[in-house]
Amino acid sequence: MEKASVVVIGGGATGVGILRDLAMRGVDVLLLEQRDLVNGSSSRYHGLLHSGGRYAVKDAAAGKECIEENTILRKIGKHCVEATEGFFIRLPEDDKAFEEKWVEGCRKVGIPAIPISPEEAWRLEPNLTRRIQSVYRVPDAAIDGFRMAWQNVASARRYGGRVRTYSEVVAIEQSNQQITGVKIKSFLTGAVETIACDFIVNAAGSWAGKIAGLAGIQVHVQPDRGTLLAFNHRLSSRVINRLRPASDGDIFVPHGSITILGTTSSPAESPEDNLPSTQEVLAMMKIGEATFENLGQYRLLRAFTGTRPLYSADPSAKGRGASRNFVILDHAKDNLTGFASIVGGKFTTYRLMAEKMSDLVCRYLKITTPCRTAEEPLVEDASPQLLAKARQYFPAYGTELAASRLGAERLEKVVNSMEQDPEKRQLVCECENVTLAEIETAAKDSTSYCLSDVRRKTRMGMGTCQGAFCIFRSVGAVDSQNLAWGQSTNDLLKEFLQGRWNGIRPILWGSVLREMELTRGIYEGMLNINGVIDNETK
Amino acid sequence: MRQSDVIVIGGGFAGLTAAAVAAKRGKTVTVLSKGVGTLTISGGTIDLLGCGSDGRPFASPAAGLALVDPDHPYSKIGKEAVQAAVDFFLDLCETAGFPYRGNLQEMKWIPTAAGTIKPTCLVPKTMDTAPLAETDMVYAVGFHCLKDYYPHIVAKNLQKLPGYDKTYHIAMVDPRFTAGRDVSALDIARWLDTESGRQDCIEQLRNTVKPGAVLLLPPVLGTRPDYQVLQELEQAVRCRIIETVALPPAMTGFRLRNLLLDHLKSAGVRIVEQAFVAKAIVENGRCLAVVTQNSDRERSYSAQAFILANGGFYGGGLLAEPGKAVEPIFHLPVKAPASQTQWSNPRLFSREQQPFAKIGIAVDSTLRPLAENGSLALENVYIAGRSLAGYDFCFEKSGNGVALASGYQAAMMV
Repeated sequence: MEKASVVVIGGGATGVGILRDLAMRGVDVLLLEQRDLVNGSSSRYHGLLHSGGRYAVKDAAAGKECIEENTILRKIGKHCVEATEGFFIRLPEDDKAFEEKWVEGCRKVGIPAIPISPEEAWRLEPNLTRRIQSVYRVPDAAIDGFRMAWQNVASARRYGGRVRTYSEVVAIEQSNQQITGVKIKSFLTGAVETIACDFIVNAAGSWAGKIAGLAGIQVHVQPDRGTLLAFNHRLSSRVINRLRPASDGDIFVPHGSITILGTTSSPAESPEDNLPSTQEVLAMMKIGEATFENLGQYRLLRAFTGTRPLYSADPSAKGRGASRNFVILDHAKDNLTGFASIVGGKFTTYRLMAEKMSDLVCRYLKITTPCRTAEEPLVEDASPQLLAKARQYFPAYGTELAASRLGAERLEKVVNSMEQDPEKRQLVCECENVTLAEIETAAKDSTSYCLSDVRRKTRMGMGTCQGAFCIFRSVGAVDSQNLAWGQSTNDLLKEFLQGRWNGIRPILWGSVLREMELTRGIYEGMLNINGVIDNETK
Repeated sequence: MRQSDVIVIGGGFAGLTAAAVAAKRGKTVTVLSKGVGTLTISGGTIDLLGCGSDGRPFASPAAGLALVDPDHPYSKIGKEAVQAAVDFFLDLCETAGFPYRGNLQEMKWIPTAAGTIKPTCLVPKTMDTAPLAETDMVYAVGFHCLKDYYPHIVAKNLQKLPGYDKTYHIAMVDPRFTAGRDVSALDIARWLDTESGRQDCIEQLRNTVKPGAVLLLPPVLGTRPDYQVLQELEQAVRCRIIETVALPPAMTGFRLRNLLLDHLKSAGVRIVEQAFVAKAIVENGRCLAVVTQNSDRERSYSAQAFILANGGFYGGGLLAEPGKAVEPIFHLPVKAPASQTQWSNPRLFSREQQPFAKIGIAVDSTLRPLAENGSLALENVYIAGRSLAGYDFCFEKSGNGVALASGYQAAMMV
């Protein structure tokens, strides 16, 4: 039977943060995730590293945590953060009195909010509406949720932390009101096994209520739908927020060559209620047009939906009214020792949440090693020598991209593979500059079971063509290396393209529809992977 | 003012076919072409009709034609005209020295790069699978650096299929392009167009494959509409060669396009390239002229009849907005589900056709567009190809088939 001192349930930002924190403190820790890492809310959000401005008025404590964590993450996670800065803009229809409260709130919390003239704002961001009344610069940034998670895991593994994906917790085992282990079921094979442990951390996000329920404990987590839109352009160089109380569809976050607009808020039927709708998209576009008037002319990439795990001690609180602060619940109070849940919170404060949770676990385990996650970088920088070597094989701007994506250790592996075999230098995904060597490295990771998993690790298939070409190459690559996880090549293709389709379907017009005609033309029309077969000869 | 009997808008397979038919009927024809059409993407096979709306394959395209819905373009065109279009096409290819194989009475199943087989009707000689019956030994041949083709996928999947249970080997050919450079099927086809490239390829194949085998290749056997590369390789290596269907760019489509362009030139058809048709001048239900917009100026082209063959959503013949589809030149009615949710199925691949694929222009039996009340919208405009309503070519495997039949029929009506 597999054993661990601590089992962390949930492979979102909080879970991987706890995994890293505990591993760094020398704890024998295993993380269990029901699907792939960051498959829930931690990747289905803006990718905004909050300055705290968003919370300055309503929730000063959250605002303060944001600005502090923002500063820390820029330092330890610099390869995941694009230091774009942000604007808060007020339009004529936004309340002037709120602006005054907001400026005061930022001052109190310690968020630098520097007023600039609309003219200066238009010079810096020419696409912005000319209707701006006032503008403030704040230290917002863009953060890559996928990369942040993977780099946390890479760091945790160096300290002995373990990860098992596609492992769904189906029972919490206890004896004499004391945790003894968890029972897990493989999502892929259905096999059930028990893992013995002394402590369980429930960091399952929107699923936290369900996990607590397995132990007969009530935790009120109300999943709340938020839909976002990805544009295939960088509309602005900075994060753009509306200077008004938090509302639908009013934050734009630039990421590399794309922009994410979000988000909506409506009660979710379940944590899996994550298919976006055209109605949500159109409503958001309409609101977004107040900020960028010609928004409708930009090419969309896809829509996606996540569920915010809103926690309330009062089960009747809903939507944006519920607290965005996090809460740690030690279930010793519910007469079960060795079990704690962490609920609520936001991506920006994931590290702080992990630190507080790990403190509790360490107190329980009588470990006194202090938290060091705020000091040590997630991954080491690649050395100038390694970068020089990498430049021989990567396309011009691909070197820096890959170095950031992979960190020094994995970059070295990838570069060595490219050095030995020139064909491994080929770009599988031209949109995101992903080489064959990198696809193979990601496919070999013990947490990869399909090409969507490889996509989340590499960004393969996340660009303009949404996988139309690179998925075929990726299938060819993993199949030739016997890395296809026992699946047929057609199933690999279908699984991946269906995943992309979920985000394309609600925005099936304009160039997105054109692209889909091509994708279908290739895979259904030409390659017949949908399987019309000759039943005459049978 | 530029005057013709017939103006064809669109230089894809439907448009080029229509131009060839109209020219043969003695008309003066002008083709206004914005791009290159989708032949170079989808390839040169003529998929006539593979399966019905339930996804079950028909015994033959002819059997399927008898069963299509009343709204399907084939129903409007009629079985006789489809047969006549096939005859016209086969005759044209034969005369041009690049004969195609197949007929409406036979469903051809051809291998693809995914290791599947797909139903089609007319294929170039390079894609005829007859040689497979003659041997048990098959080599799936790949080319180094051709990242859009994986011979082991072809071999592994095909051998499980009926008629393909053979002994498979993998053979790799190195076109000796500089490593790190992106190589496409077009590069390899151009390499094989050269004498030295062919000799190099032959040399490499001779060292790997045994005579008497069948070689399954990606579609790379040259860019010209002739069988010179095929014949030379087959003779030298003493094997039969079959090209599979693979990812774009599609050399089989290049060849067919080149064949049609050569033919149209010799038939005196005027082809205007990079001609973006922006609007039409319509009076009393008749189109008098269409107007092209270029970087320099507008030009108008007048004719007795117009064939609209500028593609669907992919080609730009139709444009989609949320919950709405429009035809931008004549502003013809395009019927589309009002709710975006009804445009598509939750599953991308399923046993159901995708509603958005069937969005298009409704026509009568002369392929002239219908107004919303069912009356004739325009007297002298005919619709051919992808912008026709009522068929999902990906699902039913009628890519190039509807284009051929409707291009032929439209030109017979003008």
